[in-house]
Amino acid sequence: MEKNGHATFLDEVASIPACDKINECIQCGVCSGSCTTAEHWEHPPRKVIAMVRAGMKDELLKSNSVWFCVSCYLCTARCPRDIKPANIMHGLESIALREGYKPPTSTTTMYRTFADSIVQYGRVYEFGMMFTYFLKTNPLAALRMLPMALSLLTHRRMPLTPKKVKGKDELNTILNKLASGGGR
Amino acid sequence: MMEPKIGVYVCHCGSNIAGTVDVEKIAEFARSLPAVVVSRDYKFMCSDPGQDLIKKDIKELGVNRVVVASCSPQMHEPTFRRAVQEGGINPYYFEMANIREHCSWVTESRKEATEKAKALVSAAVRRVYYHQPLENKEVPVHPDTLVVGGGIAGIQSALEIANSGHKVYLVEKEPSIGGHMMQLDKTFPTLDCSACILTPKMSMVGAHPLIELLTYSEIDYVSGYVGNFRVKIRKKARYVDIDKCNGCGTCMTKCPVKIDSEFDEKLSKRKAIYTPFAQAVPNVTVIDKEHCTYFLKGKCRACEKFCERNAINFQQEDEVVDLEVGNIILTTGFKLFDPTPMKEYGYGRLDNVMTSLEFERMVNSAGPTTGKILLKNGSEPKSVALIHCVGSRDEKYHAYCSRVCCMYAMKFAHLVTEHIHGVQVYEFYIDIRSFGKGYEEFYNRVQKEGTVFFRGRPGEVTDVANTAEEKGKLVVQFEDTLVGKQMRLPVDMVILCCGIEAQADAQEVAHKFNISCGKENFFTEKHPKLDPVATMTDGIFIAGCCQGPKDIPDTVAQASAAAARVLALISKGKVEIEADTAFIDEDKCSGCRVCNLLCPYNAISYIEKDKVSRINEALCKGCGTCVAGCPSAAITHRHFTNEQINAELEGILV
Repeated sequence: MEKNGHATFLDEVASIPACDKINECIQCGVCSGSCTTAEHWEHPPRKVIAMVRAGMKDELLKSNSVWFCVSCYLCTARCPRDIKPANIMHGLESIALREGYKPPTSTTTMYRTFADSIVQYGRVYEFGMMFTYFLKTNPLAALRMLPMALSLLTHRRMPLTPKKVKGKDELNTILNKLASGGGR
Repeated sequence: MMEPKIGVYVCHCGSNIAGTVDVEKIAEFARSLPAVVVSRDYKFMCSDPGQDLIKKDIKELGVNRVVVASCSPQMHEPTFRRAVQEGGINPYYFEMANIREHCSWVTESRKEATEKAKALVSAAVRRVYYHQPLENKEVPVHPDTLVVGGGIAGIQSALEIANSGHKVYLVEKEPSIGGHMMQLDKTFPTLDCSACILTPKMSMVGAHPLIELLTYSEIDYVSGYVGNFRVKIRKKARYVDIDKCNGCGTCMTKCPVKIDSEFDEKLSKRKAIYTPFAQAVPNVTVIDKEHCTYFLKGKCRACEKFCERNAINFQQEDEVVDLEVGNIILTTGFKLFDPTPMKEYGYGRLDNVMTSLEFERMVNSAGPTTGKILLKNGSEPKSVALIHCVGSRDEKYHAYCSRVCCMYAMKFAHLVTEHIHGVQVYEFYIDIRSFGKGYEEFYNRVQKEGTVFFRGRPGEVTDVANTAEEKGKLVVQFEDTLVGKQMRLPVDMVILCCGIEAQADAQEVAHKFNISCGKENFFTEKHPKLDPVATMTDGIFIAGCCQGPKDIPDTVAQASAAAARVLALISKGKVEIEADTAFIDEDKCSGCRVCNLLCPYNAISYIEKDKVSRINEALCKGCGTCVAGCPSAAITHRHFTNEQINAELEGILV
């Protein structure tokens, strides 16, 4: 029997590692009640799960929901059905990127610059990363960060030059292996 | 042994069997089998004319072994065994071939179904050849009953049995009977005062000539079997002579020690010599040895000095009583879920976050605040939040629904609204479960009274204020799932509607009585639908929350049902024990005791004197575990001998 649209999207999400219990959600809302950033979400975490089950793929992945997840894992710690909402959010991010949905936030740019910094230095080079990030998004916004940057610099918490980790070659091997096994 | 003469009867079961299996061919095939003297097919073998066929052949043709090829033995094995017995031969000279559930209903092709039916009939014929006559045993039933646990379930069971004229021993571990129901204020949905409907029953128990009350007592050891249990009960030392004390209470006023009252959920103080509450049954005090100054420091004895009846006895010791009873009802109740591990709700850390039982005591006019609903600072709350499903419907704590919380939460909403003018009550629920008689109507009533229902389980309760409005309040952070928006709601008081869980010692108790516990430690009933009061151990029944969460009406109904089951056994006066039990050939037994440990019914014991193991046939359920486990092949299972099973296999394979 041919599956209808909503079952296909649900199956796609349920097949993401550690997301297989999505069908067991009782919509109690403890995830949304616990979520530290829920006020910014167009659809709060509980509703994201309901929308996956209802097959509302386009509407969900075009919204800003999911991208505001900061991985605090409070939802996952408190979920009474152990369905791991945070994992589902990250799974949905992967699907959105893979299928070319354009995220309505700059979160992906932040992820990319962060990841690039790791690839290049084996650790985060804060000054360089933030510089690139603001260059790619909104250079004027960087002005607002200036006082904090100065404070970090004077307290020697943000070096101006990058430092590489020891064993960068081994790390590269790991990263290459990861990339070849399905991308990042 | 008389030469076996086998009669085979193939049933059509209307078209249930005959529609798929060629029944005439089967009857004809049976005639060709060894020792078969007669073979017939008939429309309905279980009907009276069908049974008469068997009886007639036994009388006229000398048939002495019977095979009926029909349905599952679950339903009609007793029917045909009775027919065979009425025909004049031993009922165990009978074997049933299941050619319906195992054949016609599950096989499409007529040819294949007929072939399979042949194999099953041939197996039954070969097996019945080796059957031996067995006698079911009867044992008398002792007319006395033991009820363990003096909550509403135990009280109900004890009264039902005693009122019918039979002796009951009611054992309670606390100093008074009453249980959790005594702690409740009102009862949903009719709002009768819990104590007002319970205390008359408690006094009836206390005064009943046929009920022997053993409070402050626990079960040490149970042995025996249905109709004939022997029980050792430990009466813990009260240090007060139960026959002399008249409950005047002078000792309680004179005692200088104050400790948290368990009955009042630690919201008030009691003395070291105390009764848990004013209406205690029996109305006799007890000395709490752990806190009594005399036991701790060797002096004080104030209670003794002031007791006019010389009832105080510091030398009292635990006393062990031996009882013989025919049946046992376990009504050991439940424990309230402790919400301390759910840090997000702040119980124990935030003032004015309380459990449901604490609230029951607070709102009770005999409770610590004489019924006033008060915050820690002594003022009345202007808003109260009730959080449902605390510890229930949560895989981290208890996966099940506790069944009573929705309703008692709504009862609380009503009581708060009634007690405090202008108060606002909020309920935070996942699903409202108001399934009982008058429950949905009560839900409606509470809505009409102005309680606001938010569908959403709160993420947290905090005292960290984000706005001026939240300052000094408890803030409930939640999603109104019907609106789809995260909200923060400042309130004065939060009541956690905690679920019901099994008693901490449920497994230990189950082990003592040789019954089993389910995954969540509630006692396992014999059948979840058709026998919810019996257990797998005959003569031991369960009622109330020890079997699973339930409300008062369900508890009372189950307790009465358990009593009815006990009374049925008492009035019959004897129980029949199935004959297909195991026995040990003592010449072959090496005394290794492997079977002693394997037996799930504790039916096998080692006889030191003879250096062999022996099976108590009254306890043996014929499961066969010991037969398979015996390294010396010394154990035989009656009606499942090697000879019989090999013959059956041979019949299927030829």
